[in-house]
Amino acid sequence: MSLDTPNDKPTSKARAARKAPASKAGGASAKAGAASTAMSPAQYKAFTDTLLTVLSGNLQARVPAELVGEGGAEMAQLLNQVLDNLAESEHRKQVSAQEIDQALDALIGLVREGDLSRWNTSTEDPQLGPLLEGFGKVIETLRTFVREINEAALRLSSSANQVLAASTQHETSSTEQAAAIHETTATMEELKHASAQIAENAGSVARVAEETLGAARAGRGAIGEFIQAMQQIRSDGVAVADSIAKLSKRVERIGTVVEVIDEIADRSDLLALNAALEGSRAGEAGKGFSIVAAEMRRLAENVLDSTKEIKNLITEIREATAAAAGAAEASKSATESGEKLGAVAAQAVEGILAGVQETSDAARVINLATQQQRTATEQVVASMAEIEDVTRQTTQASKQATGAAAELTQLAGRLAELIKRFKAD
Amino acid sequence: MAPDRAVAAQARPEQEFFCFRVGDLRLGVPSENVLEVLRAGLLTPLPRTPSFIMGVTGHRGEVLPVVDLLRFLSKGEARIGPRTRLFVGITGSYVAGVVADTVLGLRRIPVAEILPPPLGGDASAEHLLGVVQGHGTQDAINLLNFSKLLQTARQRAVAR
Repeated sequence: MSLDTPNDKPTSKARAARKAPASKAGGASAKAGAASTAMSPAQYKAFTDTLLTVLSGNLQARVPAELVGEGGAEMAQLLNQVLDNLAESEHRKQVSAQEIDQALDALIGLVREGDLSRWNTSTEDPQLGPLLEGFGKVIETLRTFVREINEAALRLSSSANQVLAASTQHETSSTEQAAAIHETTATMEELKHASAQIAENAGSVARVAEETLGAARAGRGAIGEFIQAMQQIRSDGVAVADSIAKLSKRVERIGTVVEVIDEIADRSDLLALNAALEGSRAGEAGKGFSIVAAEMRRLAENVLDSTKEIKNLITEIREATAAAAGAAEASKSATESGEKLGAVAAQAVEGILAGVQETSDAARVINLATQQQRTATEQVVASMAEIEDVTRQTTQASKQATGAAAELTQLAGRLAELIKRFKAD
Repeated sequence: MAPDRAVAAQARPEQEFFCFRVGDLRLGVPSENVLEVLRAGLLTPLPRTPSFIMGVTGHRGEVLPVVDLLRFLSKGEARIGPRTRLFVGITGSYVAGVVADTVLGLRRIPVAEILPPPLGGDASAEHLLGVVQGHGTQDAINLLNFSKLLQTARQRAVAR
């Protein structure tokens, strides 16, 4: 409809413009003819009917020229000219109104459909020109707005998407961080337990080392006593060896004394024997003498038996003392090696003592360090718990942020959708 | 004890023997053949004498030949130790020392208990008076005819 108007308007205007000079020329000629004639009733009636018809709305009604005749011809011509002008003006008014309606319709349509690109309505009517121009400016402004809004909505949408992505990523990483922190807390907890265990173990090591230290000290004392006892045994052994030597000398002395006794007994035996022989030679008189001599001889033999026994005993004693001397010597060397061994053992125990002392110190240090570590770990655990709290809050917040960003994205999408309905180009 | 023996002596005739041991032999010599008992001191070996003459020794200013009965009787040989005895035997005018390991003592042996030596069993049996059976644990003692033994010894020594 709006497309038709620009084509129609020039033709109607041109027609109107072409009509006007023609009717003016006709009117001038009609006026010149009617001025000389008078009005008849029929003529008058023709005029009245025509005017009534015009008043009733029909602007096409004209005074028929055959009815007015010569007298009213000029006047009919003039009236017709007036009517023509009136019809012309009416027509032009109608055309203008139509064009304005069309323009408004087009504007309303544009605004309703959102298509701002199709506005290019123009008019040759100088009265309507400014109006359309104003409309065109409004449309142009709207178009600019829509373009900018569209652009902004697109950017907003992409930004919202970016925000959503970032927020999602943040949420994910925050969740991961929370998990990592949780894991770290668990690990730290384990570490705490482990360090407590280590502290306990170090404590027991220190205790054991302390006990070992005590035992080693006792061992050192025992070894000292052992060495003393060994020395005592050695000196005792020396005394025993001395005693054995003395005993041996005494026994030798006894042996010489026994030899003397033996010698005397042997001589007594011989004497008694010879006395018996003498008695025997004296015959019956010497018989008693012989008996006494025999008794003497028996005594001497007894003495000899006894000295023999004593000699045997001395031999045994000698052997025994020799064995004892050997044993004493062996005991001496044994005690000497025992002393040496004791010295070696003492040295070893000294080494053990030093080592155990070091172990004890080290265990104590470890115990202390692990206790410190435990406290530190506990602090770390507490801090991790706080961090976990914060992270949880962060996660919550980032979830909310993600939700908001999602909403924002939706809104941006919706906005873009809405804006898309307006065509700017 | 002595009175008992005196009674026994009256009842039965007895002979007194000087009993001794040398080697494994237990021998008896009539006590009238024994002058005295000595210690076997240092013996001086004598050349060109039978092996049973162990040597000579000085005794109361006389030189005394010493006889080893074991060699003489072919029963081994005697060894002289610190306790070895030497008894001075006499028969007639012959005096000789005889080696004895141990002197058992003077014993009065009833003549009835003296058994005759085994006949023809041993060459040495010719010098035996007889054998007396031991009492209880004591072994038998060979009683020597010392006079005959000494004469034989002298003859053998001279024969060489």
